[in-house]
Amino acid sequence: MSGLGINGWFLAAQIVNFLILLLILYFFAYKPVMKMLDERSRKIRESMDEVQKVKDQAAQTEEEFKKKIEAASKEGQEVIARAMRTGEEARQRAQLEAKQEAQGLVEKARVEIQRERDETIGELRQEFADLTVVAAEKVIGKSLDKNAHRQIIDQVLDESLNLKKN
Amino acid sequence: MAEQKPGKKIGCGLFGCAIPLVTFIILLVAIVPASIFGIISGAFGKKSIPAPTVELPASVIFHIGPLPVSNTIITSWITVVILVLIALLVTRKAKLIPGRLQGAVEAVLEWMYNFCKDVAGEKYGGKFFPIVTTIFLFVLINAFMNLVPGFGSITYHGAPLLRGANTDINTALALAFISFCFVTYYGLKDGKFSFAKQFFNVGRFGRGIGHLFTGKFKGAFGDIGFGFIDIFVSVLELLSYLIRLVSFTFRLFGNMTGGEVLILILFFLLGFAGFGLIQVGYIFEMLVGVVQALIFSGLTLVFATMAASPHGEEGHEK
Repeated sequence: MSGLGINGWFLAAQIVNFLILLLILYFFAYKPVMKMLDERSRKIRESMDEVQKVKDQAAQTEEEFKKKIEAASKEGQEVIARAMRTGEEARQRAQLEAKQEAQGLVEKARVEIQRERDETIGELRQEFADLTVVAAEKVIGKSLDKNAHRQIIDQVLDESLNLKKN
Repeated sequence: MAEQKPGKKIGCGLFGCAIPLVTFIILLVAIVPASIFGIISGAFGKKSIPAPTVELPASVIFHIGPLPVSNTIITSWITVVILVLIALLVTRKAKLIPGRLQGAVEAVLEWMYNFCKDVAGEKYGGKFFPIVTTIFLFVLINAFMNLVPGFGSITYHGAPLLRGANTDINTALALAFISFCFVTYYGLKDGKFSFAKQFFNVGRFGRGIGHLFTGKFKGAFGDIGFGFIDIFVSVLELLSYLIRLVSFTFRLFGNMTGGEVLILILFFLLGFAGFGLIQVGYIFEMLVGVVQALIFSGLTLVFATMAASPHGEEGHEK
């Protein structure tokens, strides 16, 4: 035994040594390090969960956003359609009004033209009658009763006018 | 060899091959002339190294009061101080986001923890972890201490001032004793009956004797026969259990002392010329240190697990 160097005191000293080391390491290494590792894995798990939550939330928000955009675009389209319809209506109304106005104008012009023509015809007739009277005076050489004459001419003209019209 | 090298170079990547190749070349360049020089100088008998004297017992360096302190005890104190310092350094400024040292220590501890959990299971992994890890670290650092320059070479009153603690049988025996107590404690605490039963399995023999008295001769002889076998097996178990103490001790002590002596002999035979080969011996010794630390802690873990599991290791209950 002594050849190998087994010695009670050394043995005891090494055992005590080891136990001291075990105690110190237990309280100053294993416990805190394991706590730290657990803490870290907990933190990591938590942040992973958090990330998942945030991701879900983001997806949800995106979904909502999409829906909103869709709704907005639908609304916008509706507005546009309505505006177009209103515009179309307005245009048609304007067109109609313009048409009516134009027709009115045309009508008025026509009436005016008619009137002017009638006037002109009347004037012409007057002048023609006078001319005829003068010419007849000249041909006959004596003055006719102007009024009687005129009556005859008017009659003839009316007849011819009636003829023409028919 | 020269023909193989270019072929090898093509086969592997730039860094995959370069480092081993360079190491190999350096070793070759270092070892060959060194060996030749060593042999020649040996032949001429020009050794400058004194013949090593291998002394197994640790030498007493000084006394604290009446108690002697040996060089191996000083070394184990240094080991304790190193481990405690690392522990304090790491845990004083422990951060959630670890630095390099903290990361390394945590990696080692976590690896040991997972090792314990894998072997001993969820229930015992955490309980066995502290003692198994302490054994691992203590043996490992002590083994590496052997290789620190100055160990064995600095003398104090004719004895080496520092000597690897593992090369003292007292250290190995102390560790084996602690491992033994640890295993026995968990065997008695959690293995309870089945743990004790594997060493004193007299149940069937007793039942056979009982049958003799009650007159059931048919079953009696069978039970007595198998009872004898049971008793024989439990004696074997008890012996192997007690011998573990010895095998634990001498495995560690023998490996470490052998390594120390190997390097001494290498140095003595080759002298300073054995430059490369002694380095190889050092690398080898580092490997042996890791392996011994793993074996010591691993076996402790396995034995403790077997002792603590309620049904013995291979179905001793019947």
